[in-house]
Amino acid sequence: MKTVLEARQVSKIFGGLVAVNKVDLVVPEGSIASIIGPNGAGKTTLFNCISGFYTPELGDVLFNGRKIQGMLTDKVAAMGIARTYQNIRLFKNMSAVENVMVGFEPRLKHGWMKAMLKTPDYQKEQKHIINEASRLLHYVGLAGLGDNLALNLPYGAQRRLEIARALANQPTLLLLDEPTAGMNPQETDAMKDFIRQIRDDLGITIILIEHDMRVVMNISDQISVLDYGQKIAEGNPKEIQANPRVIEAYLGPGAAALSEKYRREKLHDA
Amino acid sequence: MNKQSIQKSAASGMVFGVIVIFFALIGFTVVISGLIQKALGQSLGVGQMPSTSSFLIFLGLLGIWNGWRASRQDKHETLNTKKVLGRSVIAGLVAGVLVMAYALIVGALDNRGINLRTYLSQLSSESIKFFLFNQTIVVGGLIHVFYSTLMAVMGGLLALASERSQERVKSTRESIQKWSQDRWLGKLRGNPYVSYVLMGVVLLLLVLLPRTWGAYWNYVMGTVGIYVLLGLGLNIIVGFSGQLVLGYVAFFAIGAYTFALTTAPEPHNLVWNFWVALGVAVLAAALSGILIGLPIMRLRGDYLAIVTLGFGEIIRILLKSDILKDFTMGPRGVRNIAGPTLFGQSFTSDVDFMYLIILAVLLSIFLARRWQESSIGRAWLAISQDETVAQATGVNTQKYKLLALSLGAAFAGLGGALFASRNQFTGPEDHALMVSINVLVLVIVGGMGSIPGVILGAFTLKGLPEILRELENYRLLVFGALLVVMMIIRPEGLWPARRPKLEMPVGQENEPVPLPATTGGEK
Repeated sequence: MKTVLEARQVSKIFGGLVAVNKVDLVVPEGSIASIIGPNGAGKTTLFNCISGFYTPELGDVLFNGRKIQGMLTDKVAAMGIARTYQNIRLFKNMSAVENVMVGFEPRLKHGWMKAMLKTPDYQKEQKHIINEASRLLHYVGLAGLGDNLALNLPYGAQRRLEIARALANQPTLLLLDEPTAGMNPQETDAMKDFIRQIRDDLGITIILIEHDMRVVMNISDQISVLDYGQKIAEGNPKEIQANPRVIEAYLGPGAAALSEKYRREKLHDA
Repeated sequence: MNKQSIQKSAASGMVFGVIVIFFALIGFTVVISGLIQKALGQSLGVGQMPSTSSFLIFLGLLGIWNGWRASRQDKHETLNTKKVLGRSVIAGLVAGVLVMAYALIVGALDNRGINLRTYLSQLSSESIKFFLFNQTIVVGGLIHVFYSTLMAVMGGLLALASERSQERVKSTRESIQKWSQDRWLGKLRGNPYVSYVLMGVVLLLLVLLPRTWGAYWNYVMGTVGIYVLLGLGLNIIVGFSGQLVLGYVAFFAIGAYTFALTTAPEPHNLVWNFWVALGVAVLAAALSGILIGLPIMRLRGDYLAIVTLGFGEIIRILLKSDILKDFTMGPRGVRNIAGPTLFGQSFTSDVDFMYLIILAVLLSIFLARRWQESSIGRAWLAISQDETVAQATGVNTQKYKLLALSLGAAFAGLGGALFASRNQFTGPEDHALMVSINVLVLVIVGGMGSIPGVILGAFTLKGLPEILRELENYRLLVFGALLVVMMIIRPEGLWPARRPKLEMPVGQENEPVPLPATTGGEK
């Protein structure tokens, strides 16, 4: 299968802190890859290295075979990597549909001169964009809410709006940073199905940072585990669940042995 | 009455007492009383103290406000006569006693023949007598206490009455609204021709007024017009694209000087055609916007404000300096700047300039609206909300920020050129920091990012002080007070910007996938 994103020995250093330490990551096209790890493990930093917010000190980030580290974020977005944020970052005082329309910015063909002169082809393009944005809102389940200011939308709707804005970029790779944070179980379930639907409908490759293990284990094709900036494990959900290093990273040293013991006891009881 | 309520009333009284004392110290009491007297249609000679009754009106208004505020301490409680009387009496007494204490001190000092003007320039002997209602110290002070308490009680009773009648007022207002919507007003609002008729009326006024209202008004309104231009330009930079630029006057100066140097006989004797010079001035300002923008692209917020502040001062000092004396005439400024000409004829009367400014303002409004409503405006707004995210969403932030800077600067250049041409003179002191601050304040007060707001702001901040000449000395006080009040009661400005309604209805619920599967993201 074709590789969409490849990170080779990526490292990001803040002063004396190595936030991401020689991480390798290969994401095949059309897959849902999850990155998990305890708080402060460097997941979001890795995201920032991929989407151009940070330039990694070492290593390469390749998108469809092209090096993208050091590129400005708008160029990265234009190439087809879109993202959402851990703490929602919408354009709060713009309406929902305008938020989505901003996402079309890299695809606009007509520049500011034509906008000033309001040429017919510019107007046609704008109309098309409004239409597409409305359809995207409909797609993420926000039909009819488009003219509300983003800050007036309920929390779950804001998360969806962020995804709609990212989709407006027409990405081939979508980075979702904790899309279910702060959601109740029903909303989490709906979001999980929605993420899968995005992949299936639009063929977009998805990388996911997520703390909710039910979501991760359910939809991931591949899981990478980070701890203290290093990748300590990689594999499909089953392999990760059984990996003693992962359990230790989450629950502390000795936890793996403990959980093994607990499992045996349960088996014995049964 | 509980202790807390007494404390609150006393605090309110203290505040109002201090306000009255402060006004007295800076001589504002005399000025405002004079204004009130004039508003009542009585004449007032120069250097003459206003009448006591006008002073009493001013004090009375403050006192009523004091009582009103003191009695309405909690939104959720219902007032009764006992509460209101207790609170307003306390507030009025505290304020009155404070003012009396001040009056006693100042009056006693004045009686001893100490000239207080040495320390406070507004405290002349007459103004102190005026403050004491031309009575002796003790009687004047007691009048203050008595009057303040009386007025506070009136304010309190007013608050009570307004609360009792609130329900009725509400229902009346609702019924009036309903009536007007049902009848012709509601229909008029929906009618598209109404806006055309309104526009026609405004245009007619704009054509007729400069001819009829005389040179003074043309001068005042011309200044307002130039500030509308500046406000619209700064609004593009600060309001639309969210970059806090404090050195906006630099672009104004560049426009004015470019125009001056290309049309004045001294120092270069270029004497270009008015329109050519105007275009060159606008272009020069726009270009300088880009040149300044390039190095400061990475700066945001406070840092950008400081750097641009410095830039504005640099331009002014350069113009003033000896280094450029041969080029810009130094502190003397450039004289005999050309007025507009058309087909060999010169149009330099105040009416012609008014028309020219009106035309420029209309053009600017048109252009600013275009930009605001287009995809450019959307990108600017996104940048102003969250620049990092805007860029990560694919907005070319550098391009749009530079565009905003240069377009905003172009407006300032146009304003500067018209300003220089109208005055036939421009010097370094026309381009002081205060211009930047004035423009910024009018944008903030009017409503950031709102074009009608900016126009309204220019009229309030530039037009009103010109009309109320007496208040000239207190302009900074009024500016500061206005900003504080605005931030408290209407932080979004007098006429805030609204977002357009855009969403389009989407067909059936189960229509197929809306987006085509995307392929290859290269642009």
